Amino acid sequence: MTAPMEVVEPGTDEEVDVDRPWQVLVWNDPINLMSYVTLVLQKLFGFSLEKATQLMLDVHEKGRAIVSTGTRAEAESDVHKLHGYGLWATMEKAEG
Amino acid sequence: MLVIRIDEDRFIFDVPDVLRQTVVDLASQLDDELEADNPNLTRLFPTAYSDDPEKDAGYQILARSELVQGRHNSLDTVIKTAEDDEVDAETLDAWMRVVNDLRLVLGTSLDVGESDNWIPAPEQEHTYAVYQWLSLLLSHIVEAQFAD
Repeated sequence: MTAPMEVVEPGTDEEVDVDRPWQVLVWNDPINLMSYVTLVLQKLFGFSLEKATQLMLDVHEKGRAIVSTGTRAEAESDVHKLHGYGLWATMEKAEG
Repeated sequence: MLVIRIDEDRFIFDVPDVLRQTVVDLASQLDDELEADNPNLTRLFPTAYSDDPEKDAGYQILARSELVQGRHNSLDTVIKTAEDDEVDAETLDAWMRVVNDLRLVLGTSLDVGESDNWIPAPEQEHTYAVYQWLSLLLSHIVEAQFAD
């Protein structure tokens, strides 16, 4: 996705700001097993073991990792699936 | 290993009866509690929009009932297959979700810490022992599903 050429003024309907993607974050928590987080990321997103392991380590060591980006609807769908597996996932607009 | 992959869709499920019964007992309790306003269930229904309560309220309206129903389905599968010695991939996925959910609920009630040095208070010892037992079972369920 490309960045919007025009800045959308704050106060307008933010739903029109469709060009800035949403990102899905998985957060570190003291309960979920590292191997479980790795497997769930593989199952939901089709990541290789190497990529899923790296994301899991980012979650564990840096406190969070971005696991997917997309439209608001796509991000919400991914968050919903992650919540179904008990992972602590949130979504926010990508910075830009 | 308590769980061993036979092929893509079949797993030997060699879990001790006493451990199965523990999971079924806790699963039955969770099944009755899912709709309740229980602070120990917080981790089962997290916030989606951490910085936007209004959007999050919209998400919760749509997502919560589906998450509750999905969990009822998984709990139901576990209770129905509690004595099976072989399970398919979908059933094993249900067991994995349920055991993890039970860990989330017990872990929240214990307020377990991140550090390996976290130790339970004396009155938490029994719950923590069950929590660790569930951790062991979950790690076996997970390991069996990795490709190789």
